[in-house]
Amino acid sequence: MTCAEFQKVLPYIIETGGIAEQEEHLRTCSTCSDLVADLKYIAECAKLLVPMVEPSPRVWNEISKSLEQEGLVRKATPRGRLLEPTHASRWGPAAWIGSAAILLLILGGLFIHRAHSNRTEDASLTPAAQPARSGLSFQGMNDSADQQVLEQVQTNTPSLHDTYQTNLQRVNSYIADASKSVEQNPDDADAQQHLRDAYEQKAMLYDMATTRSLP
Amino acid sequence: MTFRRNATKLVVLAFAGMAFLTASAQTRKEFRYTVGPKAAVVVVNRFGPITVRPSSNNQVIATATLHSNKVEVDETHNGNRVELRSHLLQNVNPQEGQIDYDVQVPADAMVNVRTATGSLSAQGLQGDVVLVADAGTVDARNLSNASVHIKTLNGPITLANISNGQLDVTSVGGDVNMNGVTGSRVNVNTASGKIVYVGDFGGDGDYTLSNHSGDIDVTLPQNASVDITARSVTGSVQNDFPLSQKSHTSFAPTQGRSFAGTSNSAGSSVQLRSFSGKIRLKKQ
Repeated sequence: MTCAEFQKVLPYIIETGGIAEQEEHLRTCSTCSDLVADLKYIAECAKLLVPMVEPSPRVWNEISKSLEQEGLVRKATPRGRLLEPTHASRWGPAAWIGSAAILLLILGGLFIHRAHSNRTEDASLTPAAQPARSGLSFQGMNDSADQQVLEQVQTNTPSLHDTYQTNLQRVNSYIADASKSVEQNPDDADAQQHLRDAYEQKAMLYDMATTRSLP
Repeated sequence: MTFRRNATKLVVLAFAGMAFLTASAQTRKEFRYTVGPKAAVVVVNRFGPITVRPSSNNQVIATATLHSNKVEVDETHNGNRVELRSHLLQNVNPQEGQIDYDVQVPADAMVNVRTATGSLSAQGLQGDVVLVADAGTVDARNLSNASVHIKTLNGPITLANISNGQLDVTSVGGDVNMNGVTGSRVNVNTASGKIVYVGDFGGDGDYTLSNHSGDIDVTLPQNASVDITARSVTGSVQNDFPLSQKSHTSFAPTQGRSFAGTSNSAGSSVQLRSFSGKIRLKKQ
């Protein structure tokens, strides 16, 4: 089993443990076992957020749609989802925005990882199909999550709304440039680092916007 | 003529009255706490500056100047932890909600402060420091043996005389100016901010200065001991510092876009990375 085949069914392997062939690959491949360990850790961290009300179904739909569009998950899941909150009814806007930040980082990591995989391990794809698969765009999710962050800032600290808006644009511009660079040069460690830096900045911005440490 | 003189008097009196009312609306409060070694001191302010400096004893002494009666200070002192938090009593504008903090802490205290719009200043400390300013400026100087974390959205950051610690700076749009900053690990990451470094990068440290679109200017003395790589993905680089060529780099150097080299015993590793900005390295 190749890494590409393994990662295609990754969400189901995390849920069910996978079949013998997949377990064998997980045991022998340090790249995939590291990836699974990271995803499990992030999913566990996401559960620790303490929210209050149910996020709008639109939010989950947007996230789900983005993941489906990128081929990271299949359309229907028989039971549960990798990142579904266990206490969804208590989730609040601030917390789901924090989760969105984590999701952004996950997607950023997967983006880098998959861009690399596409180049090194998925050579069976036709050249025409590669850009379609690697052309990951999180624009839809960004719009939605960014909007929620800005609404949160508008509610908490209206005088900072424009500042956050301007800086979100800066970060998104950084992400867009770095993403394009990684697509064009998947093996370029610098390009990958720029993308990680850009996502870190976005996570910081989300964190600053939603944290309750301000009076 | 008399009418004009009386009118002038009235205007002067009115201004004096307004000035008096404004001044009287400000309230000054002092808080004192005795703490043990490595006390944790937290100050959270929405509007207004926070200055943190060392005290001469084992006390935390905080002076808060409240700009209206629509805001108060919530204080907590549990064991070795002191927390001061501005509390807005109603919807207020930034002027009414402003509190100016001047906080003296034992030099080894662990300090964690945040303001949304004011300036932050920390100096003369030797404990871990976390400074977060949404839109405010940050000035940190004369810090040693500390782990320093700084975050801003677009507030400029000035760092001077920071030594023997670890420094982690993240800003989206703020410029970062460093003078005499050394440590075992120094990491500066901005999106559109400009990064300026003046100093020798100490010895045996690991330095990364990175941004998206801002320029990176580094000025080194002749005796700096560095192993340096610089690369701008779509921008440019310019090197006026004498470096010995490296036999191996992790990337293929491109004329005008990257360079790498060493100086003296190459004690510190320095990575300068920009996406579209210009990187300049020059001799002091």
